[in-house]
Amino acid sequence: MKKQIAIRVIELILLLIVLSLLTFALMYIAPGDPAEKRLSSQGVAVTREVLQAERERMGLLRPFFVRYGEWFVGILHGDFGISFKDDLPVAPKLWNGLQNTIVLAMGSLLLSLLVSVPVGIFSAVKRNSMFDHIARILSFVGNSLPNFLISVLLMYFFCIQLDAFPIIATGSLQGLILPTLSLAIPMASRFTRQIRTEVATQMDEDYVVGLRLKGVKEHYILLRNVFHNSIGHIFTIVALQIGTLMGGSVVIETIFRWPGIGKLVMDSITARDYPVIMGFVLIMGTIYVGINLISDIVNRIIDPRVEW
Amino acid sequence: MTETLLNLSDVSLSYDGTPVVEHVNLQIVPGEILCIVGESGSGKTSLLRGICDAGEVQVDGGEISFHNDQIPCCTSNDRRKALGCGIGIIMQNPSGTFNPLRRFDVQIREMMQSHGMSYQKEDVIGLFEQMGLTNGEEILTSRPYEMSGGMNQRIAIASTMLLEPKLLLCDEPTSALDVTSAGLVVELLCRYRKKYNVGILMVTHNLGIAYQMADTIGIMRSGRMVEYGAAREIFHHPKEEYTKQLLHDVPKLAGYRNE
Amino acid sequence: MKEQKHIKRRFILSAVVAVILILIAIFSHQLAPHDPYQTNAALIRKAPSMEYLFGTDNLGRCVFSRVLYGAKTTIFATFFLVAISFVIGTIAGMICGYYGGIADNILMRLADLMLAFPQMVVAIAVAGILGGGLMGAMIALGITMWTSFARLARSHTLSIKKAPYITASKLAGKGGAYILCVHVLPNILEPVLISALTQIGTTMIGISGLSFLGLGVVAPEAEWGSMISEARAYIQIAPWAVLYPAAATIITIVVFNYLGDAMMEYRNRH
Repeated sequence: MKKQIAIRVIELILLLIVLSLLTFALMYIAPGDPAEKRLSSQGVAVTREVLQAERERMGLLRPFFVRYGEWFVGILHGDFGISFKDDLPVAPKLWNGLQNTIVLAMGSLLLSLLVSVPVGIFSAVKRNSMFDHIARILSFVGNSLPNFLISVLLMYFFCIQLDAFPIIATGSLQGLILPTLSLAIPMASRFTRQIRTEVATQMDEDYVVGLRLKGVKEHYILLRNVFHNSIGHIFTIVALQIGTLMGGSVVIETIFRWPGIGKLVMDSITARDYPVIMGFVLIMGTIYVGINLISDIVNRIIDPRVEW
Repeated sequence: MTETLLNLSDVSLSYDGTPVVEHVNLQIVPGEILCIVGESGSGKTSLLRGICDAGEVQVDGGEISFHNDQIPCCTSNDRRKALGCGIGIIMQNPSGTFNPLRRFDVQIREMMQSHGMSYQKEDVIGLFEQMGLTNGEEILTSRPYEMSGGMNQRIAIASTMLLEPKLLLCDEPTSALDVTSAGLVVELLCRYRKKYNVGILMVTHNLGIAYQMADTIGIMRSGRMVEYGAAREIFHHPKEEYTKQLLHDVPKLAGYRNE
Repeated sequence: MKEQKHIKRRFILSAVVAVILILIAIFSHQLAPHDPYQTNAALIRKAPSMEYLFGTDNLGRCVFSRVLYGAKTTIFATFFLVAISFVIGTIAGMICGYYGGIADNILMRLADLMLAFPQMVVAIAVAGILGGGLMGAMIALGITMWTSFARLARSHTLSIKKAPYITASKLAGKGGAYILCVHVLPNILEPVLISALTQIGTTMIGISGLSFLGLGVVAPEAEWGSMISEARAYIQIAPWAVLYPAAATIITIVVFNYLGDAMMEYRNRH
């Protein structure tokens, strides 16, 4: 297995290189001039000379592969370059943003799992009961709500009507509640549905009947056997959701002004701050592919019959 | 009078509303091997399911008693305790007895703990050896999906015996196996009967195996017991037309000789 | 068997409601009582009334008319996007599955690359870089969407490839394109189409999400996501400007998701 993991890691690195190349190329040909954006945001009058000088200063006039090469070498040293927007180093910005996003992401992931795992399992065990029906309806609706809509509605009811939570998410715990909920509700809905399906499939398997006929205690069957077999799949579900989580956090962070990496990247896109965007693509790509690799490994450990 | 292990008295069963077994009588005493033989759809599997109250089969009439305790009437916890400990069940599908992904020793321990018995590795390996499974150490650390069907079935039977049941219900335990493995399974069951004096009810469509093992035979057809009695009697002097036809249809390769 | 009837009924019911929504979108121009672009300084942020069923927004425009026009924008854009991704993805998948070889390898690696990144993030990045606009948003979402169709079409093509009637066709001298169109396509159409239908809800969320962020539809176009975003600022004084487009979004997505679910169930039991 170690050999296969090594192969996957190499593939991962190659993938990231190609990804960064493509992103760099995309930004190279994209409309919008970072130099111009920068000057206008500083309130400087944009004349042709000033623009050219600024472009020169920002290093935008050098050929493609020189710029890419320089960036690539920098990455290997942990240097993500200088922001186009304010000349500050990119790496600390990304790091700060990442930390904040992780707080938000972990919080909502935890909340989602706390709700969806028991509900999903219970629903599967007591299929077609009242609980199951209600759970299915709620998770269906939750799954259909776009997260920006949830945040707007939550804001409306809690901040405005009830005045219970602050509108702008400050670092405080209170400020985190609404963004976390906005992310957690659709995620919990999706998880509940998928966990229910997976556990239900397991419970229909032959061995469950076999274990029952041997007189094995019901909660042993459920918790030690069904759960054990399902956990690999649950891992995969969660890993796949991390991607949606990262996308979702961009929207939520922007709405609630949470200083995470999502908000950072939104601002960078508007400002054409390419170094930040590149760093974001690289980091998020690594995280996403890395997590998927881990989930594949876990799946393989639990059920070695699975295709690698 | 020897105590009756299992007694079915005028039992009728239905599955999903359709009657599948009608007015069946049978008895098993300790040490007796009863084979129920029939074609597909004769109701023999439903009979077995009805005895262990597997859920989908409804009892419409008659009494099923194990050790004089009526089975479908006990509480679910009592039934759970009876299953495995009093009655051992062996299914047709070897992969249906164990969770394919967890180790044997973990699962066996779990099974014994469910019945309040303690798991002693040496005892388990010892029992396995007695039953002809010599690589007990290796088996315990493996997982079911790593083993062949035949091996799985033998391990299933051996571990069922760990609970020391008085009665074994077998649902076509050899049908999914190749000839060699089937032979080993039959040997295992007979050895067990000899050593522990258990009663065995085996459902099978294989007359050859029935001939080898059975003390008593019941022939089922369309949900009814067509003929029932001592094995030798029925094989050599079948009374009913259907029985005669069944015996006649068996290929000579099964080892049966038509006299 | 009773369950079969239930499933069929649910499927037909949701299909009917979906068709009604589509009809509303098609006839939005006729149904709208006012011009959705017509601003009126005197009528800003008016509560719902007989004249203005859903009230007016910050620029005095009729929210009801804008919601109707938004239906057209959202539903049409979604369908168009899903359709294009479906066509491109299916063709790519069929070709990859049937011919295999280097083209297959490269295309699938490309698809992996697309999927190696969370869809929304890619969409935001691409839409942002392309400068916004509905076209940009659709391209941004389409870049990742075709891959799921391609994979599905490819795997189904692979399993059909070995069928006897295909071999017979080849022996009869029929060319690859002929076989693909006449034999492969009709057989893989069903599962891929169903996948397309189940993706409508998600796509709708994507488009309105991007518009909400300002990366999709540009003002003064009426689109539910952008309407919600605009009206968010004055939600306290004119909540109807947010709540009605929000309700429309929720209802539409729920209907199409339900349709997708019902279809899956119907097909599973069939």
